Amino acid sequence: METHKDVISPKLGMWLFILSELILFGGMFILYSAYRYKNPVDFHHASRELEVLLGTLNTVILLTSSLSIAASITAIQRGQRKLSIYLLIATMALGLLFLVNKGFEWGTKIEYGIYPNSPTLLARAKGEVLFYGLYYVMTGLHGLHVLVGICIFLVMLVFIVKDRINQAHLAPFENSGLYWHLVDIIWIFLYPLFYLIT
Amino acid sequence: MRPEEEIRMTRYKTYVLVWITLVILTGITLSAAGMQLGGWTVLIALAIAGTKSGLVLNYFMHLKSERLLIFKIIIPLVMVVFLVFILLTFSDLAFRGGVK
Repeated sequence: METHKDVISPKLGMWLFILSELILFGGMFILYSAYRYKNPVDFHHASRELEVLLGTLNTVILLTSSLSIAASITAIQRGQRKLSIYLLIATMALGLLFLVNKGFEWGTKIEYGIYPNSPTLLARAKGEVLFYGLYYVMTGLHGLHVLVGICIFLVMLVFIVKDRINQAHLAPFENSGLYWHLVDIIWIFLYPLFYLIT
Repeated sequence: MRPEEEIRMTRYKTYVLVWITLVILTGITLSAAGMQLGGWTVLIALAIAGTKSGLVLNYFMHLKSERLLIFKIIIPLVMVVFLVFILLTFSDLAFRGGVK
């Protein structure tokens, strides 16, 4: 039996989802800019306490993972299955590394008593409370997206190994790649807005 | 293989070049934040972040080689909607103080 494969619809659906995600994060970015506009000094002080080095490292990690997943998809398109699998595993490892760094970062902050609604934080200036509230919500939601991405890649890995995703059929894999790049783009904006306020 | 698929098969070399550019831009963002540029800092940071997103969208997400008209419409449309949200929020914020 001959089946007609629709290449456009899955991709279009994925893009609509991506755009809705952009609006979701966009709303929080607007909230961030409104509060920053109202409390520029507090935001500056609070931002100073974040680890710029860890933030920068995580930026490079995510950028590299975007490279590896893009290359992994190209490898499948070219029929280089083994290479694709290695690159996919590398992408997942980089995603995990990102989360580990993020965990250390949050851990240190929590150790110092800075977490939402903590007495130490509430004793601070209003703008700093807002900054850390946004920091935890936005990086938290972003981290959740990274975690979901890793889980999706794990499924993709199984599919590739079982040959359910191959040169002829790779729409789900391409879509998971699009999702990962979206997560990367969101971080590209989170990085300067949280770590580099002067 | 259809020609559109061939276009999508961007070579590895392009990916690596894009990645190098992205890392360099990250370095520029970092060093620009260290300079005393006042109000320009955030504008420069956002401009660079915008450029980086453009690179990711066009090369990693293959928007550049996308032939379908709908992609050329929905993405700018969402950007415009977002811009309207920003403008409305800030026009509200800017004039709020005067009204008791």
